Amino acid sequence: MTDVSLLERFIENVGKVSAEAFRASGADELNSLVWRIVGEDAAGKVSVYCPRVTEKEKAVNIPPALLTDNYVSASVCVEEAFAAVAETGSLIWSSRSGKPVQGGLLPAHHLAIVSAEHIYESFEDLFAALGPNLPTNITVESGPSRTADIELTLTVGVHGPERLTIIVV
Amino acid sequence: MRVQLFGTCLVDTFFPETGEAVVRVLRHFGVDVVYPKGQTCCGKPADSAGYSRQARKAAEHFLSIFDGADPIIVPSGSCASMIRNHYPELCKNVPTLTERAERVALNTYEFSEFLVRHLKAHEAGLKGNGRLTYHASCQLTRELGVRTEPVMLLQSLAGSEFVELPQADRCCGFGGVFMGKLPEISMSMADEKAEMVISTGAGTLVGCDHGCLMNIADALTRRGSTVRVKHIAQVLAEAL
Amino acid sequence: MSRDTAPIPFRENSARALNDAALRHALVVATDAFVRLRTAAVTSIPFEDWRARASDIRMEVLEGLPQYVERFTEAATKVGAQVHYAVDASAAREVVASILTGHGVRKVVKAKSMVTEEIHLNHHLEGLGIEAVETDLGEYIVQLAGETPSHILAPAIHRSRKDVGKLFAEKLGVPYSEDPAVLTKVARKALREKFLAAEAGISGANFAVAETGSIAIFTNEGNGRMVTTLPRLHVAVFTIEKILPRLADLAFFARMLPRSASGQPLSSYLSIITGTRKPGEATGAEELHIVLLDNGRTRIRDSEFREILKCIRCSACLNVCPVFRKVGGHAYASTYPGPMGIVLTTLLDGMERAHPLLDATTLCGACSEVCPVKVPLVNLIRALRERKVEMGFTSGAEKHAMTAFGAAVGSPFLFRTGQAMWRVLWGLARHVDRPPLNRLPRPAADTFRRRLR
Repeated sequence: MTDVSLLERFIENVGKVSAEAFRASGADELNSLVWRIVGEDAAGKVSVYCPRVTEKEKAVNIPPALLTDNYVSASVCVEEAFAAVAETGSLIWSSRSGKPVQGGLLPAHHLAIVSAEHIYESFEDLFAALGPNLPTNITVESGPSRTADIELTLTVGVHGPERLTIIVV
Repeated sequence: MRVQLFGTCLVDTFFPETGEAVVRVLRHFGVDVVYPKGQTCCGKPADSAGYSRQARKAAEHFLSIFDGADPIIVPSGSCASMIRNHYPELCKNVPTLTERAERVALNTYEFSEFLVRHLKAHEAGLKGNGRLTYHASCQLTRELGVRTEPVMLLQSLAGSEFVELPQADRCCGFGGVFMGKLPEISMSMADEKAEMVISTGAGTLVGCDHGCLMNIADALTRRGSTVRVKHIAQVLAEAL
Repeated sequence: MSRDTAPIPFRENSARALNDAALRHALVVATDAFVRLRTAAVTSIPFEDWRARASDIRMEVLEGLPQYVERFTEAATKVGAQVHYAVDASAAREVVASILTGHGVRKVVKAKSMVTEEIHLNHHLEGLGIEAVETDLGEYIVQLAGETPSHILAPAIHRSRKDVGKLFAEKLGVPYSEDPAVLTKVARKALREKFLAAEAGISGANFAVAETGSIAIFTNEGNGRMVTTLPRLHVAVFTIEKILPRLADLAFFARMLPRSASGQPLSSYLSIITGTRKPGEATGAEELHIVLLDNGRTRIRDSEFREILKCIRCSACLNVCPVFRKVGGHAYASTYPGPMGIVLTTLLDGMERAHPLLDATTLCGACSEVCPVKVPLVNLIRALRERKVEMGFTSGAEKHAMTAFGAAVGSPFLFRTGQAMWRVLWGLARHVDRPPLNRLPRPAADTFRRRLR
């Protein structure tokens, strides 16, 4: 049983960091959401990188013609996050998952799937759950890549994704 | 009630009318004012500039004149803070002075602080006129924590309009020795403060520290502004 | 210690800055925005409680610094990092250079690190034929322009969009544009090529964690992630006081740093790196070198000025400083500008070079008020001014004036004589073409004291 208010807090904070949040209640809904969101990207230029390591990633149904193994040239990366933190609307990526964390960093659109039961309230909770042996790389992602280095004008999509979509299952 | 008045060197040398106003206001509220003879300077200019020996001399002299038995009233935030916050530290290695410095520190008040907290002057139905704005000096706000009292006093004046100064507590650029060492930056800061004052449409700028007021007045004059610059004691004396 | 001991010409630098209308406008826009963002962020948290706790944690580290360095070294080594201790800038440059040349590295990407500025690393590497490209957009702009950063958080804040447009057109051969969104995309493309071709990544660390041997890097752009996950060789350089005791402390500082810096609850990215790539992982450097730099930190920590080492480089003090707001970072001619820069630069570079910076403040206290770790900046600057006087870095005129002042404050007679002299001199000073001498107020004909009689 997941804490409904924890989930709501997470989604609210995702919005505050300029990322989009959706909910899906099963594999079918997840699939159609993924398909719809990926379809919003530039028509004809969509190329999807999906690591297909976790069960949910394997279950995602993308036409093979759109799939690519090359996360450098992909236009969107679809993958499942290790965890999330509600306090800041963050996704947690871990190198222990066996996936290249950088896969979600390079494409312009990052589409992340996260299970509701992997949402933690705070970083203290997350760290406690990770235990004493940390993975080599933990990446905390809170919204798209941004900068205000030129005249303090906010621009999105610097070195990382300009669009971050999160689907909570 | 009896108080001891520390005039401050700026008031004594340049703005005696402020000293007179302080006395008039305090007497109006039934306070007996004693002015201990032989006062000089609190020593802040030396202390800020790193001349602790001279600052300690000033503290020694001050403590030989003021004993802290009665409240010590100071019409300046920077001087009041020097006495309250810095004298104990300055005198901590001089056994003959430490106890007195602590006692004096506990009994030293900036003028507007005393008026509000001890005399409830903001409830006395004083009268004013015109549009007033207020510059919040650095040591007054950040070292003494006196932020609301001057505003309460000014807002309580029936017949005058109080308008908030944008960035009221941003430094005016006086900073004692700073004005002499980096006059270009100092003037630029004062100019910006003067612009803010002018933007309020106020006829009078009020403050609690003559160092700041002197500096801002100079900037206003440079701009050809006719905004008057007054110490809060003068405004209150006129409001009695 | 910097080998260059000529006093920083702060007054000349700042006079120049004050005459630069474009710079002044940029500074006002930037600092006002940062202050507004920060203020909004801290009003919704128990700031005073949090900064007291943050200060305690930082002091805990400083008090046990040698033990924390040891603990961190042990933990980091256990997870596969190679930890090097560099006593000064020169040693650090040599360690980094030998790691890179030992691997035949010619192309490096860098994630923003003030420390690598402090030790002048890029210049050293260039001399060895190693290209080290800055990947933070602001640092990249500054590097292309052949300049130094002017602000800890926004290094290119002194450059307008037109400047950047011209710079990119000239150096990168792209069509001129002054649209920040377009310029950002240009940089994204140019730097992505560098990321993918880089043979090594050099980063700093916002914090290091003794308990786990981890380092933490906060960015909004994602360049921290790029630099630390793409190349197989990662070199991290940071000073020893960046260590925090526990991972839980990192969680706490993750709330303080971004809020203080830019008003964000958290930056877009936070990378927590713990050692080298382990079996079964597809991310992580295969080789990780951590260079722990002292460069005067132990000396400062053993001094009365140790609290400056609590600093977490958020730049809140810069943004709120009324002097910095007027002149910008370059006037300080040092790696660290603004209030914390005044203190740290004096302690690192020495009084001879840095003493003019001690004048660059009215001691207004705005900095001490906003510091998230309660560094007592005003007290530290005042104490350094005392040192300056003791060491003799003051003008003869000032010394004489202060001697006279010392005599006058102790003697009512001398004090009154001084006031009388002032009335005489005032008439003369009016004619001197030098502020503030010609702006001094007119002494009253009757002192207050006399009126009371």
